This record gives sequence, C-alpha cells and structure tokens, in this order.
Amino acid sequence: MKSDVKISGNQVQITRIFNAPRDRVFAAWKTPDQVERWSGCKDSTKVEVEMDFRVGGTFKQKLHIRNVGEYTITGTYDEIVEPEKIVYHVNLGPATTRVAIEFIAQGNQTKVILTQVGFPDENLSRIVSEGTTESLDRLDQILSGQRV
Amino acid sequence: MERLSGQGERRVTALARPFHISLPAISRHLQVLERARLIQRRRQGRIHFIRTRTAGLKEAQKWLMRCALEWDSRFDALEGLLPEDERKDKKR
Repeated sequence: MKSDVKISGNQVQITRIFNAPRDRVFAAWKTPDQVERWSGCKDSTKVEVEMDFRVGGTFKQKLHIRNVGEYTITGTYDEIVEPEKIVYHVNLGPATTRVAIEFIAQGNQTKVILTQVGFPDENLSRIVSEGTTESLDRLDQILSGQRV
Repeated sequence: MERLSGQGERRVTALARPFHISLPAISRHLQVLERARLIQRRRQGRIHFIRTRTAGLKEAQKWLMRCALEWDSRFDALEGLLPEDERKDKKR
C-alpha cells in the first residue's frame, strides 16, 4: 500500500501525495471521462460514470465486475470548493458512507487527504431485514471482497 | 435480523416460517450473515440455533480497512493517469 492509512472508530483516513499540480489532480475528480479512467475497483473491467458536479448534484457509477456483472453506486455532492475540497455521500448498497477529499498544494505535488466515515453494521441490518434476495446477492459480492 | 435481535437464540425453522421461503433459501441467507459475522450458529444434533452477534468496532474496522485498500488501488490508477497527461502536455 502506497497510501498512509489511519483508522479510528468508524472512520478511515487515507493520505497520498501525487506528482502533479493541484488543479490537475482536482480535474481528475471533476469530469466523468477522467473519473472513468481511474475509479472502480480491482475486479472492475469498466466503469460508466454519470455525474452532475455541483453541490446537491448526484452521481452514478456503473461498475462492470469480472465474474459478477454490473453494480451501480449512487451518491450526492454535499460540498465542492474548487480546487480544495469535495465532500459527498454515497450509497454502497449495504452501507452509506460520507467521503471528504482535501487537495493540498505542495509545490508541483498535491497531497490528497481522503476521509471516509462508514456505518456498515446498521445498514447491513436494515438491508437484511428487508430480506430481498437481490440485496443479499449484492451483499454477498461485497462481503467476499469483489466490490466495496 | 429484526426477528433475531432481542430474542436470544432462535431455531432456523422458526426463523424461516413467516418468510414463505424454503429452508435452503433461508439457510443461504443465514450463511451470508454468518460470513459477515453478524450472527453466530450453535448446533445441537440436527437443530441449528442462531443468535445475533454484536457487530462491534472490529468488524467496522475490517470493513474500513477494505475501503482503504480499494482507495489505495484507485489512487494507483490515478497516479498512473497523471504523468501520462503531463507528457501529453509537454508535446503540445
């Protein structure tokens, strides 16, 4: 792992320094064609992104996952301060998490601090009590590490 | 989960009854929960008893660690993308 990770309570903080100016790094989070090129997970073969990059705007990422199929996550932007900060919350199926990303300029480099606050247990329980097989199938995929 | 919580141990057959689904189906659901460590199972002969497991900090942390790993691999991809664009910029 190249990032610095801190976990406390129900939050994880990941810090990484990128060899590019802040505007360039921020741009990679801002437009769908850019996000499609790096987002997704280890097992995703393709990511389709729809996003309305403004406060209150929503986004959708359809992931094509090897041996599993399609999986869509949706979220809403809560705060955008260009090129310093993005805050959004995202529904991952069994969990809703809030993600805050800070972009700090350090000369030609950019330090990115991403803080994710998650509430997996409460929402897992909710989905399970709804009892749909579909949700459980998705849950199963997530729990087996095929998608987060 | 709702049926399980606050009621201590329940038999699998008793849990399945109101759902109008087959025993193998409920068993599959329970396996998912068991794997997620949200329930624990006790066997007495052929009868299985299920109780909820207090999903604590440890589980949440494990889940968060997985999130961190995902972000790390995404950041790898992003990192790969950035210099590529820098090179393109220089050519212009």
